Amino acid sequence: MAAIGIRGLSKSFDGFQALSELSLEVNQGEFLTLLGPSGCGKTTLLKIISGFLEPSTGSITIGGEDVTRVPPESRDTALCFQSYALFPHLTVLQNLEFGLKQKGVSRDQREVRISEVAAKLELEAQLEKLPNQLSGGQQQRVSLGRALVMRPSVILFDEPLSNLDAKLRDQVRVEISRIQQDYSLTAIYVTHDQSEALAMSDRIVVLNNGKIVQVDTPEDLYAKPRTSFVADFIGGANLISGKVSSQTEKDPITIETSMGQIETSQCVKDNVENVELSWRPERAKIGEGPYRGTIVHRAFQGQFTDLILEQNDTVFRIRTNNDKLCVGEVINFSLSPDDVVVLEADK
Amino acid sequence: MTLRDWVPIVALLVPGLGLILVLIGSVVYIAVAQSFGYYALLGQSEFSLEFWSDVFGRKLFSRAVRYSIYVGFWSAVLSVALAYPLAIWLRKPFSGSIGLGALLKAPLLVHGLVAAFLYINVISYNGLLNQFMQGIGIWSEPRRLQNDSNAFGVLLLQVWKNMPFALLLLTGAVQSISDDILDASRDLGAGPWARFCKIIAPLSISGMQAAMVIIFIGALADFTFQTTVGPTNRQSMAQLMVSFKSRGDWHSAAVVGVSLMTIALLGSALLAFTSRVIMRGGLR
Amino acid sequence: MTYQRLNSLLITMVVTVAFIWLAIPFTMAVLWSLVDPAEPWTADKLLPPVMSFYRWVDMWENSSLRYALISSYTLAPSAALLGLCLALPTAFALGRFDFPGREVAKLLCLLPLVVPPFITAIFFSALLFQLGLNTWRFGAIVFAHSILFLPYAIRILTVSFETVRQDHIDAARDLGASAWARFRVAYFPALKPGISATLLIVFIQSIEEFAIAFIIGSPDIVTIPTLLYSALGQDFVRPNAAVLSLILVVPNVFLMLILERLMRSANPALSSGKG
Repeated sequence: MAAIGIRGLSKSFDGFQALSELSLEVNQGEFLTLLGPSGCGKTTLLKIISGFLEPSTGSITIGGEDVTRVPPESRDTALCFQSYALFPHLTVLQNLEFGLKQKGVSRDQREVRISEVAAKLELEAQLEKLPNQLSGGQQQRVSLGRALVMRPSVILFDEPLSNLDAKLRDQVRVEISRIQQDYSLTAIYVTHDQSEALAMSDRIVVLNNGKIVQVDTPEDLYAKPRTSFVADFIGGANLISGKVSSQTEKDPITIETSMGQIETSQCVKDNVENVELSWRPERAKIGEGPYRGTIVHRAFQGQFTDLILEQNDTVFRIRTNNDKLCVGEVINFSLSPDDVVVLEADK
Repeated sequence: MTLRDWVPIVALLVPGLGLILVLIGSVVYIAVAQSFGYYALLGQSEFSLEFWSDVFGRKLFSRAVRYSIYVGFWSAVLSVALAYPLAIWLRKPFSGSIGLGALLKAPLLVHGLVAAFLYINVISYNGLLNQFMQGIGIWSEPRRLQNDSNAFGVLLLQVWKNMPFALLLLTGAVQSISDDILDASRDLGAGPWARFCKIIAPLSISGMQAAMVIIFIGALADFTFQTTVGPTNRQSMAQLMVSFKSRGDWHSAAVVGVSLMTIALLGSALLAFTSRVIMRGGLR
Repeated sequence: MTYQRLNSLLITMVVTVAFIWLAIPFTMAVLWSLVDPAEPWTADKLLPPVMSFYRWVDMWENSSLRYALISSYTLAPSAALLGLCLALPTAFALGRFDFPGREVAKLLCLLPLVVPPFITAIFFSALLFQLGLNTWRFGAIVFAHSILFLPYAIRILTVSFETVRQDHIDAARDLGASAWARFRVAYFPALKPGISATLLIVFIQSIEEFAIAFIIGSPDIVTIPTLLYSALGQDFVRPNAAVLSLILVVPNVFLMLILERLMRSANPALSSGKG
């Protein structure tokens, strides 16, 4: 049984369609990320799952039960807010206790759960402090702990790392992943940061304009983006259009483009002539190869070097470990057919 | 800061703050002094506890004290109790909420005496309320409603006038509570009453205390509502004070005045403390 | 769905109560002020049988109304101006200087609001008596009013002074402006709304003030509130009281609305330039 089932969910505000006909199933113990640009509807979807918004149409079930009209206080979800939302007049301990008291959990049980979570999140020393006496990272952990002690069916994260500085972000990211795995929690995570999404998720849901564009594991999402939007949103992508020139069942398919002939191992539908292709900048093998270009811009990035090449009015990017190449050089490179992806048309 | 630096500052403060301190200071001083027999307007000025024992011994005084505290306390409690739900309801804007807020705060613009007149007008012997009640058959003949002995007229007017003020203070206090915090409490299972007790009340306490204290002091020291629509067999402390003064008995008036100020101070402190304890006590 | 329906129900309820609370009493007052003495308005008629401005004209010509209007409307501007002059230096000190005890000073300025009005009134008159100054009542009332409402004046002007931007003053100095020119270009624009608001608020409060006018003023000086008070007591002629009530309330409502607009516009008017 799926932990969360979403069927035909739509939400509109005063004529603005925030979500259109979404359907999605989340598995028990899965870490699912909702990823997309601002305004894509990911926060709206999160609010509907947690109960703060009611969908205009469609339904949502948690653990098999229909919770579409159930208010947040009665839903078995716990939300970690972007602003942490710690109760300023209560100590850390009281913050952690709050939900348990509302649920009527006995004092002994409360103590057990809180000491367990406090130990795991290293909050034992802060229990008697007020939120304004804590650092940002500590507040984040209290917010996480407050949700964890509830042992919810679903734990939801609303961009929890965006208020932290870069170093802390990496640290807390690891902590959240570990805890989710240790407790086998079903987690829904909202972010616009694709590196977070790629690092933490079992599956990623890419949203754009209120619709689901692609749902896949991070590896598949990266290697096989379905549309140009996904290709460009996750990692960098070189997008190029062309015409199918030959197609047999055994050989890779050849496509005529402004770069030359490109081969792809993916399938193309029978009557389709014009296709859009995508290949990743770091997949180009510099040295020998059928493609060439003149380097017009070079950006050294330490771990790698980004190059912008031009050839016959076509511009593309290559990422390489070779930091000796200079602007003005002409280089050759090749692409493996497995690294060339055929994209669907953006709906 | 050197003495030199202080000179211009003190000079600037004198006409404003200085005059305030002088005026209020001397008013309080004279009141206290007169209560002990000094500054007699006619006759001898000498220290005497006689006026205190005299006034305190009179039943008129103790009744006035009890009555004024009754009016002060209930005006404050009822105004705040009515204003809280309204402030919470109007916390997040919805269509018409601004108009509603203005409508509810309108009595702030109306002078107390005018309010008293409007009230008298409506409940008078041949007035609208009597006609209405007779019209729908509840009463068979007009009733005399003015100057009722339970001071409902006074309380009604006090609440009419003060609830908007409490609403003003409480709206500010309640709107400063962030949405995220209330959402978090909902997410953790708190229903409306739990949200009020555990989140809204503790976080808006200072606004509530300010409202209660200010309304209490104002209603405690009321003169105009009492003399226009209040019960005729009771006197408020301010009314008593004025009547002593108009008879030339300044010393007794001073005793009542000083008592009034003391009760205002002690009562406010007690109210503020008690409300804090009640609000906090509901938490842990 | 149900939340919205509950909301609409609540709105209807509140509007109905507000209607009973406000509209009915006021309509009654207006109607009563228009009753013509030729035919009294008895309980059996819904509207007054004959309506005219008789009461208004009569009161204007015969009663102390004219006198009360003159008193009130000369007291108020005088108190407003005096209050402004007294408040400006203190507000300047509180707004632009940082000295130890500043917060305490700000709190102390609120003292007149804490002492009950009738106590202030009675013992201020005792004070005047002791000082032998109880002859010039008008002056005494103006003085008392201006000090009584200083908390509002000081508060508003302090905020105005605090919003005067130091970089405007510095820029003016840098360009060689004299003290007066600096005042005109850096201080005055920030102070203008504060000054108007102060004058207006003291004016409104003075018009409405009752305790001091009653205790110190009577019987020589009659203001609109004291006139209304006596109209509610012994000589309760309902139409007269209605007229007085309307005269007291209607101008004040307009003035308060103007004040509200002023206070609101005070902030955007001050943010000139960037950074």
